[in-house]
Amino acid sequence: MPAGDLEHSPFWYVTLPSEEAARSIGQRALLTKMLIEVWGEGSTWEELEAALRAYPEAAMAPWTGPDQSFKVVVDTFGSKLSMDQQLDMIEKLEFLPFKGKVKLRSPDLQFVLLVVDCEDNDSLVDVALPRRYYFGRQVAAADRSVLESYSLKRRLYLGPTSMDAEIAFIMCNQAKVRRGQLMLDPYAGTGSILVAAAHYGAKVMGTDIDIKVLREGKPGPGGTDRVCIGSNFTQYGLPQPVGLIRLDTHKHPLRPDLQEVLHAIIGDPPYGVRAGGKKSGAKPELADKRNPITDPSTHIPATQPYTLGECLRDLLDLSARLLVVGGRLVYFLPATPETYSEAEVPGHPALRLVANSEQILTMRYSRRLVTMEKVCPYDAAAAAAYHAARPDPTMAIDRLHDIVYEQWDEAAKKEAAESAPRRRCRGKQF
Amino acid sequence: MLSCHIKNVRNGYPFLIEVVKVSEHEADFDPDFLKHIFPRINWPAFLQGAVSLGCREGLPEEANESMLEDEGFLKRFHHALLEVFLEEGSLVCPETGRKFPVSKGIPNMLLNEDEC
Repeated sequence: MPAGDLEHSPFWYVTLPSEEAARSIGQRALLTKMLIEVWGEGSTWEELEAALRAYPEAAMAPWTGPDQSFKVVVDTFGSKLSMDQQLDMIEKLEFLPFKGKVKLRSPDLQFVLLVVDCEDNDSLVDVALPRRYYFGRQVAAADRSVLESYSLKRRLYLGPTSMDAEIAFIMCNQAKVRRGQLMLDPYAGTGSILVAAAHYGAKVMGTDIDIKVLREGKPGPGGTDRVCIGSNFTQYGLPQPVGLIRLDTHKHPLRPDLQEVLHAIIGDPPYGVRAGGKKSGAKPELADKRNPITDPSTHIPATQPYTLGECLRDLLDLSARLLVVGGRLVYFLPATPETYSEAEVPGHPALRLVANSEQILTMRYSRRLVTMEKVCPYDAAAAAAYHAARPDPTMAIDRLHDIVYEQWDEAAKKEAAESAPRRRCRGKQF
Repeated sequence: MLSCHIKNVRNGYPFLIEVVKVSEHEADFDPDFLKHIFPRINWPAFLQGAVSLGCREGLPEEANESMLEDEGFLKRFHHALLEVFLEEGSLVCPETGRKFPVSKGIPNMLLNEDEC
């Protein structure tokens, strides 16, 4: 835990079995900036210096030899330091017993002086930290270069709800996707999450109820060849998905005895702010008015609205069946401050909630990344009993579209602003 | 993995495959994945599909997990499972004869409203 046990702090102590473990984390982690072996810390410069002087010489020795080039960088939280101020601080560290040469470009070792100073920064309201100095050796740094190479800006095939590359990769990390595995996105769309999972070496499958987005794609740049999900895989030199299937997760064609075949199910369910959910069958009020089916081969099947509550019930039950024990389901649950309650996060007897993390999108609307793990084999009777005890899967968030687009008058806006202080995203200041 | 899901259909598995066009593209050879998926595959149904797609050659009539130690078997299994695709054609329900069209490699499994 960080100084003061502040849960919102971006600095956390972890105990790891080896440096190798730390480097492996650095290779996959996208939200961890770096891992530092802390040599000393304090709330004042004097405390830091005293701590560093007390740090055992023997612990420093492997990293301070004459043949090891090094550099010290200053990183700040809550405020900025000018180049001159940074150099002053680095010079004040000269009492440390480094015998190697300073090398600014690709040194053997990198040391970090971390300065936390939020005192004059009003914008930090709820994330301010007490003043603190840390010094230590950087053991690993997160490699975020993957996000640049998969940036949506240069991706060939995109739709209005394509998952941002960073979030898609984070979803795959939550699901622990790796080579040797089979992954499914039941709401594949333009395949953004499939691309991220394929990058990590899994075999990927995508399904969607929308045949147009899945099969037809759209005209390529400059009106050339059409682009589709396959184009994105070709663009990144990834093996093609093992299967893309148009199906309805509510009435799906997976053979009934199929179980424990997937390691990960990752998806962004349709929730009706931009793309609403659909399932098979005619809308009840229109069922009598539809043209009779004359030729089943050319008939366009009717679809009807699919509430998020129903959709998530189907998703969790499908996951409970198709995941291997230990396999993970990762999906986004929309939320608004007025409607969200932890009790409404859907559950299943075979799945355990691992994480539920909020991403604030606007004042009225956020989404929560939910991670669940399958903890026991699927038991159809237990699942049926669980669902029978909760006959109505409707959730308050099924009104999401209305809530987000509701017109507020000035008085209501003012009241909302006063009753709930503006919430901020964390992690932007570091 | 798929079976016919029209209501009241009991023997909807496995689908018969009507081939118009088959395509092949190379897939990453991953023995761990093959070992995971093998016990989940209904071998007779897999063979039936492989015959339809013309990639049955070299696959034994019966298979068991000990074969997974044989690199040659793994390579042939890998090829038939992951590198041969039904590009155009249909999946045909063995009970009702209902055809689910496959176009551009993508089966359209959506039911008409009188089927669900």
